[in-house]
Amino acid sequence: MTFFRFTWKNIWRKPLRTLLLTVCVSVAFLIYGLTASFLAGAQGSAGSSDDILGVMSSAGRSHPLPLALLPRITSTPGVAAVTYTARLRGFVGTEKNVVNLTATDPDALLAINGRELGLSADLVGALGAARDRILVGRALADAQGWTVGQQVALTAFQTARQDGDRNWRFEIAGIFEGENASTDTYFMIGRYDYLNAARARDKDTVDAFILRPGDGVSTGALAARIDAAFANSASPTRTQSEKQFLEAFLRQYADVGLIIDLVVGASFTTLLLIVVNTMVFAIRERTFEIGLLKTLGFSRWRILSLVLGETLLIFLAGGVLGLALAKLGAGIAGPALGLILSAVVLAKALALILGLGLATGALPAANAMRIPVTAAFRTR
Amino acid sequence: MTDRHDPAPYIDLKGIRKGYRIGTETVSIFADLDLAIAGGAFVAIMGPSGSGKSTLLNMLAGIESPDAGQLMIGGNRLDRMGEASRTAWRAHNMGMVFQFYNLLPMLTAAENVELPLLLKPLSGKERRLRTEKVLDLVGLAGREKQYPTRMSGGQQQRVGIARAIVADPGLLLCDEPTGDLDRKSADDILAMLGFLNRELCKTIVMVTHDPQAARHANRVLHLDKGEFAEERSAA
Repeated sequence: MTFFRFTWKNIWRKPLRTLLLTVCVSVAFLIYGLTASFLAGAQGSAGSSDDILGVMSSAGRSHPLPLALLPRITSTPGVAAVTYTARLRGFVGTEKNVVNLTATDPDALLAINGRELGLSADLVGALGAARDRILVGRALADAQGWTVGQQVALTAFQTARQDGDRNWRFEIAGIFEGENASTDTYFMIGRYDYLNAARARDKDTVDAFILRPGDGVSTGALAARIDAAFANSASPTRTQSEKQFLEAFLRQYADVGLIIDLVVGASFTTLLLIVVNTMVFAIRERTFEIGLLKTLGFSRWRILSLVLGETLLIFLAGGVLGLALAKLGAGIAGPALGLILSAVVLAKALALILGLGLATGALPAANAMRIPVTAAFRTR
Repeated sequence: MTDRHDPAPYIDLKGIRKGYRIGTETVSIFADLDLAIAGGAFVAIMGPSGSGKSTLLNMLAGIESPDAGQLMIGGNRLDRMGEASRTAWRAHNMGMVFQFYNLLPMLTAAENVELPLLLKPLSGKERRLRTEKVLDLVGLAGREKQYPTRMSGGQQQRVGIARAIVADPGLLLCDEPTGDLDRKSADDILAMLGFLNRELCKTIVMVTHDPQAARHANRVLHLDKGEFAEERSAA
């Protein structure tokens, strides 16, 4: 027998209680894993870039900017390359199946963030072969079951064609993979010239200009320079990095990070109270045995480590189970919800498992450590 | 009270004073207790309830400290040790046998016996060999994997004795070791204690109410109101 086996046997002396505690811990870490994955995922901003700037209307992203700003933005010192985008938001099939199409100048997009999106010259060439062609991100293609050459009918929520019809038909020219797992590929890339010519309203406007600063250029200084240039114009701008934009976009609805922190904090506080309460009672039931162990020569620190070992094992078992379920959930719902259970999330979860395991075991362990043998023997 | 067989006692208590506070009052258990026990002795301590037997045993085990006086066992001044030192001393020098065996129900017989060895720097193989050896010594070979709840009282007490001696301590303290057993099992356990005393030279101090049990000891002390009232040599 080893100390580990002794601890293990102590845990399983009341199997139902241990199972319920493990489930309790696993649910808390499932919540943590999913919420942290959301923050770390593509719906959050971890996969977005701090190096690419977006220029939007200072009145908000629903207010378009004139395409005529392009030459002035392009000529701003420090700008290496610029493209522009207009969004076509709608659904495919049912209204719940929401998809987005970003209409742009494909060649300019390739120059700016072709690497991040996994675009190649061949893909962009295929897109340029016909005006109604699109490129589809891997996550979206997998989720919808789309393949190259397939026709896709998108019903726009707002953007109507010149004949008033909101149905747009496209042909899939290729699939882009994204640079890595955290890259958002749940969208389509189309041609701006086609969208601009076919739509009924907002002609020659864009939702945003996307630019890459030159080497060594401070993105903050460049953003300030562009906004200053248009400050007193008819179209004042707000320039942000892609990362800042996504964070600000999410904050339009709510401070997602704060909500997640509150949900995780509440679940962990509840968990802490439940486990501490249960462990205090579990150890109190064994007060006599703790006296016996001390009589056999087990020191106060050995007793402390035994009790802490029990809570740590329960947290490890429950935490690993919860994170495994979160990983499974992120894998299943990942493309649609942008869940990425990254190594950083796992490392933080492991630190939480250890921290909470020690914190919850501290009170019962300290009680067990302190009780005198004679007092322990009187409990029988 | 001195041991007549050995001038250099293994257990030496001089001027022990011990009392308990109950509310605002202090109840004295021992006012000025002297006791000397030779190494290798088998001593039975008898006496009515409240005479101080358990307190004396607890002090010999290092579980309680005297308020004053000298408590020396095997050359170690227990009265001068802190709790941590007394706990470490117990792990290496003393084994205890309880009336109700006090085995851990979720551990097998072998695992219960092995518990004190977890505190020693031994390999798993060494621990297993020593455990098997003492279980064989107490007549429980082949029952290593049996759980205490599946054993008779006599068998459980044998496991308790095996646990007490597995770390090879010089001193065995027995608190009513036959109090929960039938006569036959009690005689077997007492015979085993006698064997450990004679063959392995264990110094044994046994608290008991049972005069028949006391007859297995080679020295019997009667404790009454915190003083040794009578002493006789057993057969």
